[in-house]
Amino acid sequence: MSHHLFLLSPSDTPLYSLTHQSTKPVPTVTSPLASNLPTWSTSAFAGTLTALSGASSATQTTSGGAVRVGGGQDRHVIQMIANAGLDVIEDVMRKENTMYLKSVDKFNEWTVSAFITPGNMKFVLLHEGKNDEGIRAFLMEVWELYVKTMVNPFHTAHTAIRSGVFDSRVRGSARKYL
Amino acid sequence: MATSSKQYKNVGEELWKGRSEKINAELFALTYGALVVQLIQDYEDYDEVNKQLEKMGYNIGTRLIEDFLAKSNLGRCADFREVGEVVAKVGFKSFLNISPTVTHSGPPPPSSPGRPLSNPSISQATAGSSFTLTLDENPLAEFVELPEEVLEGGLWFSNVLCGVLRGALEMVQLQVQADFVSDVLRGDESTEIRVKLVKYLEEEVPVGDD
Repeated sequence: MSHHLFLLSPSDTPLYSLTHQSTKPVPTVTSPLASNLPTWSTSAFAGTLTALSGASSATQTTSGGAVRVGGGQDRHVIQMIANAGLDVIEDVMRKENTMYLKSVDKFNEWTVSAFITPGNMKFVLLHEGKNDEGIRAFLMEVWELYVKTMVNPFHTAHTAIRSGVFDSRVRGSARKYL
Repeated sequence: MATSSKQYKNVGEELWKGRSEKINAELFALTYGALVVQLIQDYEDYDEVNKQLEKMGYNIGTRLIEDFLAKSNLGRCADFREVGEVVAKVGFKSFLNISPTVTHSGPPPPSSPGRPLSNPSISQATAGSSFTLTLDENPLAEFVELPEEVLEGGLWFSNVLCGVLRGALEMVQLQVQADFVSDVLRGDESTEIRVKLVKYLEEEVPVGDD
């Protein structure tokens, strides 16, 4: 099961992204929508859907030896889902006051969970299946790591986060919670 | 030595506790960090930034020593070794609340006969003695992570401390050279400052006094 994490500035500039392949077993979730689509459908939208739903659990190995997640093959689709989720996030943001907004959007089997920091940074996590507690803990930890990065005088606010330490710590946290 | 190492530790503790105005460590670290980053942007040359930090430290040190001597009431140090002890255990403790460890090293073997010391009350320590302060924590660099280009550029982030040491000791007639040897921010094992005695300064008549 894979997860995609995006850290977005208040102006929706992506500052950091991570794709994490989880090793934990996942309860299989059937996506009702995909099954409704006739397989002979040739529309681009349907093609995308089937590619997504079919590819979500498949991993392919490229010639370079890197493991590529099936969803990553349609990276632009992932980006699209994340971006689409932003509108929903902003709606929910206005109503609720909490930081962790659980799952704000669902696209087939991909759920979008969001976390808004007091500084209006958005952490968007795309995942399959349900893992509320784990995701909550993970996003809280990402928040702490993000704060530590912000306090570094050499980091300019709202620019891409390129710190190796931050990256390795987020990966470690992902391994722990997701 | 008249005063033992343990006594110095206690004096340091007392001075730290006795300070009525302390500053929040985070604020201090953030302020210093912003200062360094701004200097880098202004000068764009890491050697120059190191020099400027040292100069700033020098100015701080020349004033700091007055405060230190007034509060601590310590007498003259017998030799350079004692200077090292006092700086580490009383100085750093009372201002930064850290206790660096000191390692002393004597002067390299002289190639020429030792010159007579003008100040008779200081004993045999010759120019060239040094001590190394090993800081196991550095409140200035609390949240700092140096990016690539800074690492390659050769910045010593806490260079202001070297300046402070040079300035303060110059006011008590000791001319020293203080430099960073290693820094954990740069990926080294530990943070070390080496303070080397250049010479004892003679009491000079202030310029323009005659």
